[in-house]
This record gives sequence, structure tokens and C-alpha cells, in this order.
Amino acid sequence: MISCSKNPYAFLDAEVLKVTDETSNIKTFTLKPRADISFRAGQFMEVALPGVGEAPFTPSSNHDFKETLDFTVMSAGRVTKLLHQAKAGDIIGLRGPYGAQYPLDIFKGKEVFIVGGGVGLAPLRALLYALFNDVNDYKKIILRYGARSPGDIVYRSEIDSWKARANHIDIAVTCDVGGPSWNGNVGLVTTILRAERLDMNNAVAIVCGPPIMMKFATFKLLDLGFKDNQIYLSMEKNMSCGIGKCGHCRIGPYYACKDGPVFSYDKIKGLSNIWD
Amino acid sequence: MQNNLYTIAKKDLFDLFGRLAAKNKVVVPYAKGEKLYFDDFDPKKEDVIELGGIRQSQPFKSFINPAREKVIGSGKDKRAHIIAGVKACDLASLTLQDFVFQGGEVDDPFYTENRNNTTIIASDCTYAKETCFCTAMEGAPYPGKFFDLSLSAIDNYFLVEVGGPKGRKIADDFKPFFKNPSLHAVDIRQALRDRVSKQVQGFIDKRGTQNTAQIKGVVKSNYDLTEFWKDMASTCVECGACNLACPTCHCFLLSDEKDASGAKRFRSWDACLYNTFARVAGNQNPRRHLHERLRNRFDKKFEFFPETLNYFACTGCGRCIEACPGDIDIREVLKGLVAGKWNRPPHD
Repeated sequence: MISCSKNPYAFLDAEVLKVTDETSNIKTFTLKPRADISFRAGQFMEVALPGVGEAPFTPSSNHDFKETLDFTVMSAGRVTKLLHQAKAGDIIGLRGPYGAQYPLDIFKGKEVFIVGGGVGLAPLRALLYALFNDVNDYKKIILRYGARSPGDIVYRSEIDSWKARANHIDIAVTCDVGGPSWNGNVGLVTTILRAERLDMNNAVAIVCGPPIMMKFATFKLLDLGFKDNQIYLSMEKNMSCGIGKCGHCRIGPYYACKDGPVFSYDKIKGLSNIWD
Repeated sequence: MQNNLYTIAKKDLFDLFGRLAAKNKVVVPYAKGEKLYFDDFDPKKEDVIELGGIRQSQPFKSFINPAREKVIGSGKDKRAHIIAGVKACDLASLTLQDFVFQGGEVDDPFYTENRNNTTIIASDCTYAKETCFCTAMEGAPYPGKFFDLSLSAIDNYFLVEVGGPKGRKIADDFKPFFKNPSLHAVDIRQALRDRVSKQVQGFIDKRGTQNTAQIKGVVKSNYDLTEFWKDMASTCVECGACNLACPTCHCFLLSDEKDASGAKRFRSWDACLYNTFARVAGNQNPRRHLHERLRNRFDKKFEFFPETLNYFACTGCGRCIEACPGDIDIREVLKGLVAGKWNRPPHD
């Protein structure tokens, strides 16, 4: 019998401590793993419903906080629909972490321009907390976030508290469609991406969201003057094994699970179907 | 070199298989019509055991990377496997299978266990069929590496070569079966091997099958030749037979089940021709169209692996040609790519 620690397909039990409703179809699960399974922002894990299935997610919590992990999950498929039925006290499985972390060393001293769409704010929340851990190491921290409607904004109550953390944090939120509860910007996230007051020679952009949003946000960032190698994209493919063996998440010469899931745009721009 | 070479009479070899089968699972190829199939050694069926011939219909990878392997949950056949009659086009795939499952940061312990528990008794091809093109893919119709013992059929005996420690142990444990070869046995073997190599090359030349030097980079340079890929995929029925029959295809699906004894997880062969292969939640699919999936198969074999492993992920076994109900012929696709053009309208 191959021991659990040597079996790359085996998962670690984790208890659901808390379930937070973010929107009508997005929930944040706070999990307490039975053993240390710490990660770095940008890395992902396989979240398993034992005997049912698993799916890849990037933790959305602060990587310095080792006791518990947050996963923010949209109900979108077979596994996530069932995961949404999980309640405090339930046991689910975790495998990982896999992939590369956000290159925080490269981001240090720079203006960090973060662009999120929909539930794509989840991995970016882990990134933001990682930046906040050493907030003065970064020249500026800018978040531009777009949601479909005011009701689809995740971490809505938290976002205001992020703004108050330091003077060089600049956050703006937009909704594709407004509503009575919304007096902010209405329009796609690309409508709030502006280069003014950005030092293009000393900036990086990080994008995570649905593929169509990633595509147009990237094109907009290029228009604003970002270079290919200054743009970091979350290429969330069908990462299944997490260890570069099952073949599902290949992008050209890379596996998203091993070489990503975050890639700088210069590495992948010539490859086909990256936006699908 | 000579101390690694022996001869064994055909009846002694079957006797040896019988003795090995007492403690191991011994698998041999049987002839059924024109095709060969692997199955458990059965002394009652000795007359249909075919240790020469060509590669079996079933890829050898299935013994080391089984079609369905339990990776969570108990219960597994622990006996060592001895597989006889393995052909060079299957051995060549081990470069890739070992790289995928044992290379990189994480070892797949299930693969490694199977690999370590498997003794490979390889054998020379004694003829070739029209779909064989191993010599175009840097191979040969006889074993070169990755074998523990190799068998070359000569009259009613075999010339045996020891290729690894597991083979050495068999030769030592059953010494009386293994005789010293005649002075000319190696020359006879070489002549037989050359004859089959020529036969393969004859099929390659007749069809104009392209070799690895000719196909280098042709998928990349014709990647956007959409009409070509669409035409090639026009008869594809997405059955995945080409993937499943292929000795180098390694992609797998993890699936979960549960019953009274608890949760189970299986690692099963997957096929990149299936629409679901790259699909993710929300019905996003980077390879939505069939021609994109067919192209992906060629991109993986002839661009990804040459780039990451310096290895063309085709051994020329021809199984996919035989398996395809749509008559898609890998040799013809590669020929079209080398030609670099397809029936484009004149205005294009």
C-alpha cells in the first residue's frame, strides 16, 4: 500500500469551519486542515469532495495565516454545486499547493496594478493580503474590480476596509449593470483602467477574471503602455492532477498546473486559444 | 558481450514460462487471425503463442500504466508481472512514460511500483505490416533498450540477450535452460533483423512516409492552416481510439467513487480528442472544435515532446492507423504538413 504522504493523488482532510455567502452563487469556505498545508499567494489546490470529485481553486486568504484557509467558489459545475451544500463541521479534502506563486520579489518597489473580474477576485484577495503583509514594500497598490451587478460583488464589506489600510492603496469598483443600491461606476472593468499617475517604467499589472474579461483587460493594459512582460495573467485551465502528468492543462510548451497558473503575457502571447 | 547471450529451445522457453507463472503473472502474445493479443500464459494454448510477429494490438503501456488504476482505496494485485513478446515500438514509448510518471518533482508511485514489478521479455519483429513505420521514427523492429531479456527467433530456438538485472536473475535462476549460443547466432540474428528493417523501410518508401528529420517543426509552421486541420478531422468521430491505442499517449483522468468501504479514486486513460478533455467549469473550452483537438494531438506529439524531452512522441507502431474508424492516417497527416499546403482556394 502506498502511503498517503507519498501518494500525490491522496488528499488531506480539512474541516469546514465557516461558510460565508458572498453573492447568490458564490460562497467562501473557511477550512481548517488536519495538518499544515500552507501555500503562497497564486498557488492553487485541489479541493475534493471525497468519493465525488475535485476541482482546482486558488486559496483566497492571507498566506501568512496558517491555521485556516479560505476558498471562494462559484457554483458553476458538478463539483462546485455539491460543494455549495457543505456546512460547518463537514470534512472535505485538500491536495496541494501546486504551481508557482505570484513573483512578489519582482513586484517589490513597484506600482502594482491589479485587475479583477467577478469571482476572479478570489486569488487576487490572497495577493492583496500578501501585499498588505509588507505594504510599504510596494510603491502603490491599485485594484480595479468589475462585477456583473452590485449583487455580484464579492468581499463587498471587506473592500472598504482594504482602502483604509494605507494611503498608497487605491481601489475602484465598477459594475457592468448598475442598480438602486449602486452609486459607483457603471461599465465594464476596462472602462476604469487608466494610466494617469502610473509610472509605466516601474509598474506591473496582474489580471484574473473570466477569459473574455482577461482578454480585453490585457489589450487595454497594452494600450495604456504596459509591456508584455509586465502583465501577469491567471491561466486557469483544467488543472486535474496538479503535478504535470495528466496532460489536461497544457498551454503550448507549458502545463498551467506546474509552470503557472500565473504566466507573464510575454510567455504565452504567441500561443493559440489562450483566451478560451 | 558473449556472456549476455544464450540460446533457449522453444519448448524450454514455454517450460520456463510455466515455472515463472507459479509465482508471477506471466503474459504472452497469442495469435488471433492476423493480430496478436496479450493474455495470461496458458500451457494449453502453446500452439498459438506468437513471440515473433509484430506488435500486439494492445499497447504494452497498459501493464505499467493500466487503463484504470485505483489510486485511493485498498485492494491491488501485488504479484510481479513478466510480460513476454514486447516489441521495440512499445519499448520506445517507455522514454516518454518514464519521463511523465517518474520525471519532474513528483514521482507517481503507482507507476513506479508497476514499472519495478514488471519484467520485460522483449522480442524481435519477424515481419512488418504496411502500417509499420518505426524506422522513420528513429526506431528499429528489434529491441535496443528497456528490456530485461530479449528473444530473437531462429529456427526452433531463440537467441536470448540479457538486458537488465531482472533478466540476469532469470538466466541465473534457470541456468539449465540457457545454453551457450553458436558462433554464428549473432550474425544470423543480425541478418534476420536487417531483413525486417528493410521490409519496414520498403513500406515507408512506397508511401512516402516522412521521418523525424523531415517533420521537425511542421505542426508549428502549419498551426494556423485551419482548412488543413478541418479536412483532416472531417472523418473523426471523437472515439479516442487513436489515443487509447497509442503507446506514448499518457493523459489521464482522475475520477472519484464511493461505496460502503469508503471513497475511491481512479486514474484512467483519457483522450484529448474528447470534447470534455480541456473543458472547464462554465463550459469554457480552449479546444471547442474537433479540428483543434486533432491538431492538439499532433502538437503534443510533434512539438511539445520534441521541445520538452527531445523526443518525437510517435514510435511508428501504426496502431492508431488501424484503430481509426475514420481512416485518419498519421502518416498522411504528417505528409500533408511537410508539403505545407492544402487545397486552398486560388484567391487565398
